[in-house]
Amino acid sequence: MAYRLGVDVGGTFTDLFLVNDEDGTQHRVKTPSTPSDPSQGVLNGVARICETAGITPADLGNIMHGTTVATNAVLEGKGSRVGLITTQGFQQILHLARSQTPGPLAGWIIMQKPEPPATLADTREAVERMGPRGETVVPVDEKQVESIVKNLVESGVESLTVGLINSYISNKHEKQIGDIVERLYPGFPVTLSSDVVPEFREYERTLTACMNSFVRPKVQAYVDRLDDELKKGGATCDVNILRSDAGLMTTREAGRNPIYGVLSGPSGGVAGALAVSVRAGHPNILTFDMGGTSTDVALCENGEPTIGRDTTIGQFRLKVPSINVHTVGAGGGSIAHVPELTKALRVGPQSAGAEPGPAAYGKGGTEPTVTDANVVVGHLPPRLLGGEMTLDVEGSIKAVAKIGEAIGLDTEAAAEGMLAIVNENMAGALRLVSVQRGYDPRDFALVAFGGAGPLHANAVAELMGSFPVIVPPSPGLLCAIGDLVAEFRNEFAQTIVTPIEDVKPEDVASVLEDLGKRTRDWMTSEGIDESGQRITYLADMRYVLQGYEISVPVNMDDVKAGKLDGLGDTFDAMHEQLYGFKMDDAKQEIVNLRCIGNGAVPTMNFPSATPSANDGSNAIVEDHEVVFQGKKIPTKIYDRAKMTPGAKFDGPAIVTEFDSTTVVLPGYVAEMDEFYNILINPKA
Amino acid sequence: MATTTDELRIADIPTGVEIDPVTLDIIEGALKSARYEMDAVLFRSAMSPVIREQHDEFPMITDPRGRMVVGQFGAYINEMMEDWDQGIYEGDVILCADPFKCSGSISHTNDWLVLVPIFHSGELVGWSSQFGHMMDVGGRLPGSLPTNAKTIYDEGLIIPPIKVVQRGEIQKPVLDLILNNMRNAAMNRADLFALVAGCRAGEKRVQELCDRFGKEIYLAACQALLDRTHAAMKQLIHWAIPETPQTFEDYVDDDGLGNGPFKMKLTIWREGDHAFFDWTGTDPQAMGPVNFYLSEGMFKMFIGIYLIMVNDPQILFNDGFYPLLHIILPEGCLLRPRFPSALGCRTHALARLFDVLGGALCKQAPEINTAAGYGTSPYMLYSGWGEKGDFFFAMEILYGGIPGRPIGDGMDGHSWWPLFENIPTEYLETYYPLRVDGYTTITDSGGPGLHRGGNGVEKRYIYLEPGQVSIHDDRWLTRPWGVLGGLPGGRSEKILKRADGTEERLPSKCDEVQVEPGDMLVYRTAGGGGWKDRLDRPVEAVQKDVSYGLVSAAYAKEGYGVVISADGSVDAAATESERAKQREERGEPQAFDYGPPLAEVLANCLAETGLEPPTPAVPLRWSPLESGEDAQKRVREADGMSPEMVKTW
Repeated sequence: MAYRLGVDVGGTFTDLFLVNDEDGTQHRVKTPSTPSDPSQGVLNGVARICETAGITPADLGNIMHGTTVATNAVLEGKGSRVGLITTQGFQQILHLARSQTPGPLAGWIIMQKPEPPATLADTREAVERMGPRGETVVPVDEKQVESIVKNLVESGVESLTVGLINSYISNKHEKQIGDIVERLYPGFPVTLSSDVVPEFREYERTLTACMNSFVRPKVQAYVDRLDDELKKGGATCDVNILRSDAGLMTTREAGRNPIYGVLSGPSGGVAGALAVSVRAGHPNILTFDMGGTSTDVALCENGEPTIGRDTTIGQFRLKVPSINVHTVGAGGGSIAHVPELTKALRVGPQSAGAEPGPAAYGKGGTEPTVTDANVVVGHLPPRLLGGEMTLDVEGSIKAVAKIGEAIGLDTEAAAEGMLAIVNENMAGALRLVSVQRGYDPRDFALVAFGGAGPLHANAVAELMGSFPVIVPPSPGLLCAIGDLVAEFRNEFAQTIVTPIEDVKPEDVASVLEDLGKRTRDWMTSEGIDESGQRITYLADMRYVLQGYEISVPVNMDDVKAGKLDGLGDTFDAMHEQLYGFKMDDAKQEIVNLRCIGNGAVPTMNFPSATPSANDGSNAIVEDHEVVFQGKKIPTKIYDRAKMTPGAKFDGPAIVTEFDSTTVVLPGYVAEMDEFYNILINPKA
Repeated sequence: MATTTDELRIADIPTGVEIDPVTLDIIEGALKSARYEMDAVLFRSAMSPVIREQHDEFPMITDPRGRMVVGQFGAYINEMMEDWDQGIYEGDVILCADPFKCSGSISHTNDWLVLVPIFHSGELVGWSSQFGHMMDVGGRLPGSLPTNAKTIYDEGLIIPPIKVVQRGEIQKPVLDLILNNMRNAAMNRADLFALVAGCRAGEKRVQELCDRFGKEIYLAACQALLDRTHAAMKQLIHWAIPETPQTFEDYVDDDGLGNGPFKMKLTIWREGDHAFFDWTGTDPQAMGPVNFYLSEGMFKMFIGIYLIMVNDPQILFNDGFYPLLHIILPEGCLLRPRFPSALGCRTHALARLFDVLGGALCKQAPEINTAAGYGTSPYMLYSGWGEKGDFFFAMEILYGGIPGRPIGDGMDGHSWWPLFENIPTEYLETYYPLRVDGYTTITDSGGPGLHRGGNGVEKRYIYLEPGQVSIHDDRWLTRPWGVLGGLPGGRSEKILKRADGTEERLPSKCDEVQVEPGDMLVYRTAGGGGWKDRLDRPVEAVQKDVSYGLVSAAYAKEGYGVVISADGSVDAAATESERAKQREERGEPQAFDYGPPLAEVLANCLAETGLEPPTPAVPLRWSPLESGEDAQKRVREADGMSPEMVKTW
C-alpha cells in the first residue's frame, strides 16, 4: 500500500500523479475530463495510471483529489433546491444581500444581480430571536417551526439551511430547529449557519450556509459514486478532497461541508508550487498559474500560503477560508479588440474558450487571442512538441493583423502589444497580492505553471522584479502534485468580540483549549495519529469599530501564563505592515479565537540528479526566429526532456515540453537545477 | 495654483513626445489599478462604518496641473489651491473640509478631503487625493448634519485647506485643534490616516510609473489619456445632445424647515462641438440645509459618466473633455448657494440632479434612459448616553428602489450609490443599544413597468436606551417617475410606534426626536419607477414577483393587468381582457409618468401623508437670484466664448 495518487480535475484535462513512497518512482497521466460526470474521467485515469505503473487499484494507499464539482455548481448556478429558515423579519436577507451595486457612479445601470442559492419562495421566517450577547429575546416557537419545516420539505426543497440572527454568539436556536428537522425528517440534509461559519455578519454567514446546502447533494452524490466505483474496481483506500485552503478533508467531511472545498482547484496549484519551490530553496514565492480563460496568482511566505477568511466565487463572497488566490479573467484564449471610440487596445475579458479556441488551433476561431499573439511573434513554435498539435500560423497572423490595422501597427508589433498588455494585467494581479499587502515582490521568486504560465513568466517577472522564475517539470500537472503533498486541515473558531483590556487571559486560554480539543478530536476521527497533529492558535483582532480583522498568531504558553500584551503589539505591527500606520490611542479588540489543525502526510521525494555543468546544446532541436522588442532574433528551441541538471544557457531561448512552453528572454539566463526545475535569472 | 514658493518646481507636460499606443494603454491600466488600490487601502483600515462598510469616499489622481487623469468626481485641485501661500513640499498632506473654499468639490463639512502632492526627482508630477464622509465633525448635533441648520456654522468644524503633515512631519497643534472639536476624536484620526494611507498608495504608484517609463513619457501619457477622452467625448456629445434645447425638471420635496418643494430645472443644447447645461429656472436656494453647492467639474464628470457608461465602459474617466462642456448655474439658486448657506443635507439635491440629467438626456439617447429611483441617501442617526454613562452614536445610510432599467428590473432595496453596503444587523446590535426588528423591502413600492422598478426598503429599529433620533430622507411628497409606460415608484414614510402603543408620523427630515426604550421606528424609503409599458411585462415575471411576495396579487392586477388566482396560478383569459381594458383606458403611454400633478399632490398632502404640505420657497434677502441671462454671459466669458452669443429659451 505504498502508492499515493493525486488527481486534479480541470476543465479540459484530468491530471493524475502517482508516487511510490517506498522507492520514489513516479507516474503521470493526462486524460480528457468528462464534465457531465467528472467521476468517469477520474476512473478512466485511475485505470490508465495503474496500468502504466503495473499495479492494481488495491495497491493504492491513498487518493488525494482536487475537484471542481462544487465550484462549477456555484458558477453555473446548478445546485439543489435549498430551503432557508431565517429569523422573523429577515426573510429577504439573501434578496437584499449587502445592497451593493458596482462602481463607478451609474454602475447600477449595467449590474446583473445573481440569483441567490435559496429563493424568496423557499425562505421562511421562524418565530424566535437571539440577542447580541447570546440571550434569548424570543424563544423558538416549536409549533410554528414544525409547520414551516413541513411546508418547505413537502414543497420539494432538497436541502435545508437554518440561518438565524446572532447565531454566531449562541447556536442554541439553530440547534433546536435542526433537531426539529431531524425529528420530523430523519437524515434530511440540514446546514446550520453556526456550524459552517460561527462568525459575525448575518448575510455572509447565511449565504455561505445556503451555498453549502446548494452544492451539498451534488458533491455528496459525486464522492459517493467515486467511492463506490473505486471500491468496485478493487480499491480499499480512502479518498480525500482538497479544501480551498489547501488542506485535505475526508469524503465524509466533504459530503457534509462541501463549501470548504469550493476553490479546491486553484489551491492544489499553490500547494504544488510550494512543494517544488521549497525543495528548490525558495520558500518565498508568487505563484503564476495561467490557463486558457483565467489566471490565478497567490503569495506564499516562508513556505506557507497566505490564507484568507473569505472566498470570492463568481459574484458571491463566502465566509470560508481559502488561499488568497486572486483570479483575473485573462488567459491564452483572451480576445483582443479595439473600441471604435477610443482606439485603445484592450485584451479580454471576452475569451475564445475551448471551442472554437484561438485561431491558431484551426478549429474555426478567427478572433485574435493571446495565444495567436504568441504564435505570431514565435514564442509558440509552429509545432508543439509532444507532437499532437500543429498550429495554424497563417490563421494567427490573419487574426492579429485585424488588430494591427485598427490600431495602426504592423502585425508583429500588434502581437507584441497584446502580449505587453496581458503581461501588465498579470503584473497588476500580482501587485494586488504582494505590494498591496505590504510585501515587496522583489523578495519573491515567481513559480510559473498552467498551460500558458511559462510562456509569459519571464516577461511578468521583469515587470515585478521577482526572480528567479521557477518553471517546474510538467507545469501542467502541478495541481495534481499539490493534491499529493497537501496536509489534512480544519479549523474551529469562536466569536467573542471583546476589547482586549476586558479580556481575561484565563478565559482566552479556556476557549482556545476547548477549540484545541475539538480540533484534535477531529483529526483523530480523521485517522491522524497524535504525532502527526500540529495545532496553531490565532486571534482575529482589530481596533474597536473597525470592520475587518487581522489574524494574529497566539502563543499558548504566554496566554496560560496570563500574558496577553504581546498580542496587542503583534497586532499593531501587522497593522502597520499592511496599512502603513498603527493607532496608539485606539482600543483593540479580539473578534474571534481560532484553532487550526494540520495533520501531516508522508513527504514526497521528487526525482533529482546531481547537476553537472553543461550548455544544454544536446537538447537543441531546432533553430527559429523570434520577435523580441520589434526585432527578429535567431533563437534556439530546446527539448526539455533531453535536458539534464546543470544545463545553463542564455536567452533568447524557447524550451518545449509535453504540456507547456517556456520563453527565456534576451538578457536572461536559464539553468536546470537538481530537481529538473528551470530557473530563469537576469544575466549578471 | 496662484502662489507657490520658489522651491516648488512643477513638471512640464512635454509636447511632441511620441508615445506608442501600447505604453499608453499600459499606463492607463496601471493608473486604474492604482485608483482601486487607494480604495482597498482605505476600506481595510478606516474605522467609521460610513466609509468602511458603506464606502462613502472618492479617490483621484491628477497630473501636475491638477487635472484628474483617473478618479470618479473630477478635479478640484486648482480651485482649492487658488489662494494657497503655505508652500508645497514633498511629504506634505493637506486637509480641507470647506465646500466654499474648493468650489464645491466636497459638498458638506462632513467630507474630509486629503491632498498629497506627488514628487518625482524634485518636481511636482501630480496629486493624489481622496475624500471620505466623517461620522461626526463636531457642532450642535452628533453627525453634524442638523436638518434645521440655517447656515454652515451650524454644521460642525469648517476646515479651510491646511497642512496636517508638513514634509512628512505631523502638525500636532493643528491636528489637536481639529480633533479637539470632534465627539469621537479617535475615529476621526483613524479615518484621516486611512485617507492618507490611500493617497500614499496612489503617490507610490505614480512615482513607480515615472521610474519605469521616465517622467517625460509618464506625463505625456497623462496628456494623451486626457486627449483620448476628449476625442471620445466629442463624438458622444454630437451623438447624444441635439442643437435644439431639451428641458427636464423635478423636485426636492422640502428643506427641513417647511419650505418647498424646490424645483430643479435643466436645459441642454449643443453649439458645434460644445454642449451647454443650463440650470436657469431652478428655484432659489433654501434657508434649510438642502442646498447643493454644485461643482462645475463634478457635474461635467457626471455628464461624462452617463455618456461613457453605454459606449466603451473601459474608457478612463478623466478631465479631458471638460473644455467641451459649459455649465450655467445662476448665483443664489439651490445649486449655487452663496456663503454661508447651510449645505449639510445636500444629498437629496445631489441625487435629484441625476434624475434631472437622465431625463434631459434621454430623448436623444433612449439606450441610457432609465426611470427615477429612490432619489436620495436616507439616513438614520441615533445617539445618547448608555446605562454606564457612555456616549453612543449610530449612523446608517439606507437604500431603496433602483429604477427600472433597459437591462432589466431595478434591484429591490439596493444602493443607487456605487459600492455602498448596508451595515450588518449583528454589527449594529453589538455596538449600539438597538435591535433590528426587521429588514425587508416594501411590497408594491416598485413602479410597474416592462422592467419593474425596485421596491423601497423597510427597516424597523427598536431602541433600547433613551436617546435622540434624526432622520434624513426625501421623496415623501413627489414620486420617483416611470418612463415610456412605466408607473412611478412608492413614496417614503416614517412611523414612530411608541412602546405604549401610540403612533406618530415623523417628517422626512427631522432631528432631536426623543425616543425611549421599546420605541420602534419604522423607516420606509421610496421605490423606483418602472421602465417601459407595464402592460407588456411577461405574466411569468409578474407571477414570480407575487410568489416572492414582492408584488401583491391585487397590485398585479391594478399595475400589470395580470390576474392571479388564489392558488397562485395566472388566469390567462381574465388577464387578457384586463390588459385590453387598461390599454383602452390609458391610451398611448406617457414618456414620463410623475403620478398626479403637483397641485393635486400638495392639496392631498395632509390626507395622504399625515404631514402639512411645504410652502413655496422665495429668494433669501441676503442671496438674490441671478438672472439666467447674466449667468450665461458670465460662463461664456469665463470659458473663452463670446458673451454676446447668449441664448434664452
